[in-house]
Amino acid sequence: MRRLAALLGTLALLAGALALTLRLVEIRGDIADFLPAPQSAEGAFLLQELRGGTATTLLLAGIEGAPAADLARISQAMAARLAADGRFAMVANGALLVGEAEAALLFAHRYALSAAGPDAFTEPALRAALEGVLDGLRSSAAPLVRRTAFADPTGAFLGLLRGWAGEARVATSHGVWMAEGPRALLLAQSRAAGLDTDAQAEAVAAFHAAFAAAAPPPGARLLLSGPGVFAAEAAATVQADVRLVSILSLLLVGAFLLWRYRSPVMLAVVAVALAAGALAGTLVVAAVFGHVHGAALGFGITTLGIAADYPLLVVTGRAPGEALRTAARRIWPTLRLAAATSVAGLVPMLAAGFPGLAQFGLFAASGLIAAVLAARWLVPALLPPEGLPVRPLPDALSRALLRLPARRGAVLGGLGAVAVALALAGGPRLERDLAALSPVPAAVQALDGELRRQVGAPDVRVVLTLTAPDAEAALQAAERAAAALLAAGAAGAIDHPGRILPSAATQRARLDALPAAEVLAARLEAAQAGLPFRPGAFAPFLAAVAEARAQPPLTPPHLAASPVLAARLAPLLRPEGARWRALLLPSGIEDMAALRRAAAAVPGLLVVDIKAETEALLDAGVGTALRWSAAGGVMVLLLLGAGRGLAGGLRVAGVLAGALLVTFAALAVLGERITVFHLTAALLLAGVGMDYALFMSRSEPNSGRDGNEEAARALGSVITCMITTLLTFGLLALCATPVLHATGLTVAVGVVAAFLLACTLAPRRDATT
Amino acid sequence: MARRGAVARRALLALALPLPLAAQAPDPLAAVMAGLAAVRESRAAFVEEKEMPELDRPLVSRGVLLWRAPDRLEKRTLEPVPETFLVEGDRVTLERPQRGVRETIDLDASPEIRPLVEAIRATLAGDLATLRAHHEVAFTGDARAWRLRLVPRSPRVRAAVQRIVLEGEGAFLRLVETQGNEGRSRMMATPLP
Repeated sequence: MRRLAALLGTLALLAGALALTLRLVEIRGDIADFLPAPQSAEGAFLLQELRGGTATTLLLAGIEGAPAADLARISQAMAARLAADGRFAMVANGALLVGEAEAALLFAHRYALSAAGPDAFTEPALRAALEGVLDGLRSSAAPLVRRTAFADPTGAFLGLLRGWAGEARVATSHGVWMAEGPRALLLAQSRAAGLDTDAQAEAVAAFHAAFAAAAPPPGARLLLSGPGVFAAEAAATVQADVRLVSILSLLLVGAFLLWRYRSPVMLAVVAVALAAGALAGTLVVAAVFGHVHGAALGFGITTLGIAADYPLLVVTGRAPGEALRTAARRIWPTLRLAAATSVAGLVPMLAAGFPGLAQFGLFAASGLIAAVLAARWLVPALLPPEGLPVRPLPDALSRALLRLPARRGAVLGGLGAVAVALALAGGPRLERDLAALSPVPAAVQALDGELRRQVGAPDVRVVLTLTAPDAEAALQAAERAAAALLAAGAAGAIDHPGRILPSAATQRARLDALPAAEVLAARLEAAQAGLPFRPGAFAPFLAAVAEARAQPPLTPPHLAASPVLAARLAPLLRPEGARWRALLLPSGIEDMAALRRAAAAVPGLLVVDIKAETEALLDAGVGTALRWSAAGGVMVLLLLGAGRGLAGGLRVAGVLAGALLVTFAALAVLGERITVFHLTAALLLAGVGMDYALFMSRSEPNSGRDGNEEAARALGSVITCMITTLLTFGLLALCATPVLHATGLTVAVGVVAAFLLACTLAPRRDATT
Repeated sequence: MARRGAVARRALLALALPLPLAAQAPDPLAAVMAGLAAVRESRAAFVEEKEMPELDRPLVSRGVLLWRAPDRLEKRTLEPVPETFLVEGDRVTLERPQRGVRETIDLDASPEIRPLVEAIRATLAGDLATLRAHHEVAFTGDARAWRLRLVPRSPRVRAAVQRIVLEGEGAFLRLVETQGNEGRSRMMATPLP
């Protein structure tokens, strides 16, 4: 009873310490930590965009489930509330874009902002413009035309607005963007970076609050999407899946251990080893790095699944009549070798060069060391000397399994065939699509795609970018680059900051090119000949042009008075440290190579093919992980050779290699593409597989009863390990979330293969031959 | 011509009505609206003259008007510049093929345009409630020859358009005259078969 209290007390202490540590330690979620340091400027730009680019701050919302008029009312109420909320840099819902003050500012600067050149002010052009005015006045749109026609007959202002509006391809109804359904659409940009999960959660909450405050009728729904929503949604999905699987596997493992050891205490024993490992891993990583990466924590705890086996092996490996302490001491060399080889496999990751992987390696390695120490010294101290009674395995099962070494030839032949088949099929296929790695549910991704399509937000594939010492230089450089690319025919159209706000130099050049007052007056009079305009009808136009010629250009500091223009400009031009960055978004690219050639001719211009660069980064990440795993593999082999000699080492290595081979072949047959999650799971699998092999071949063959009993006990331990692993990680295969599914499937297939191979490759025994 | 015949017949019919029956319908505006509402489809040729302060002579254009109950009105200008102005439901489409213009606006999004559209459309539909929702309506004349004087209720609209006068004969809308600070426009219609 006292021991039970001590066991439960230790467990509570460890769990409490772990919970406290996780609360105190800073946990980061920057995915960039899991990508290798970029080798190219393009890669660096992409990483930065992934971390906090404008694209990651976009929130898309759809409101549906009510008549269009209600949706429009909700949309307007939400937009007003969100625009007043300091968390959003921009809120758009399709309602009248430009306010009166801003319209006046843009109207005043129309000749500097409009791309129409001096050709618009020749006599023939003016004549055509005046005829156009007349047409407009005849038309049903006359009241609209009349509002600006006499001050702006060349249509510079309307052209400006039309150029902006032409980019939004959303239909409006009841004054707001409305897609089929009906579904009102809203677009917002948060000030906080997309990967600042807390701030994004606040932004999402602000949307929900604004929706609730708009008094939606029953049935109306708010749909939200965007990277920030994704982060929250992903966390929620993974948590929900993990919670369900945890409860289920706790019940199953508990039931299994209860059957196997006739006592629920074994569950607590396993938990002690795991908690000790997780605590040690977190503390060591936090001490070395100052923070713990969330993903390193997740992957690390997954890998600690290896450690769950250690106490099982100690308790089950006890011979009848043997004290648990004695058994632990007897088994220790094998246990030590198993842990040492697992750690050796992880250590090279410390040198991998990107912090995420190093943290993962450090976490798992220190966790395993703590867990094996706990199994060796803590567990025997917390259990009664006689350990726990172990129920024997069904006779037929153990006899069949122990007879497997007789079929070694056939199994090895089969493995060879699998290897050839896998090689012929081209090996396992790697997943190169970031979306497939996302734990965001497919339905949410589909909604995002739909909202994006409806809003007309471009799916940017290629981005050109450059930096300059100041905003004016960046604008000039962007204008030059866009002109050069268009002249080379490299793209159909290019959106760039100069289209929204031309550089001061361009504005000045445009204003300087305006004709002098008397010249314009003379041309206008000539152009008016025969048309029914009264003299002086266009006096506002002449005055406006004269005024414009003396005007200072509009520059970024003025834009506080022009929120729409500022919002349009922000994604394309922004300060970055001491410099300014401009983005150019080409569309209608027919020949990527031609675009690259044309871009190469512009100094300082980077071409970032988002998909290709992302794939390259991912490949580099996976490649680096694989290389360091291979280095780990070599260390493992060396250790095994040292511990078990050449033959014994090869035996264990054979089990490992065979299990990995069968696993990846099975994944290929199931049509799975290999992701980083499969690889992490493979590490776990390699660790437990090695334990199986080491324990199944622990004692050298001898012909006595002892040898056979020893083999049966080893089998009993290993089969327990395998079944608990299957009941925990294997269950994850049933989840839909890619990370959990991949881990679960790999481990489930792998541990069964490793177990059977460990049985098959175990040394032959007389009694079974 | 058949149409004009129908109007004449209806006028005769109205004359021939015995007094007690006329007393049962004492509201001539309601009678005009009922007559307009009974027309499911009609076609008319129009001539429009616009006068503006900046112009020294009116702009003239011609075309056809097509009406289909309950809410489709098409004003197809044929000369001098082809243009189609179509109101259907809450959607207004303006098409000027020579300039490559095709614009669609939503009446709900344009509170300053809807009253001007409804002035004509709700009249053709015989929908007095909608007409009154947007305008003060004054009726003069009788069911044979009538005159509606509309003043927009919205001050914003009234700032641009002070009044709209519609004249008709029986169930035929003959004249629409709009007086705004942008000038004055007169659209005169003649029925087409």
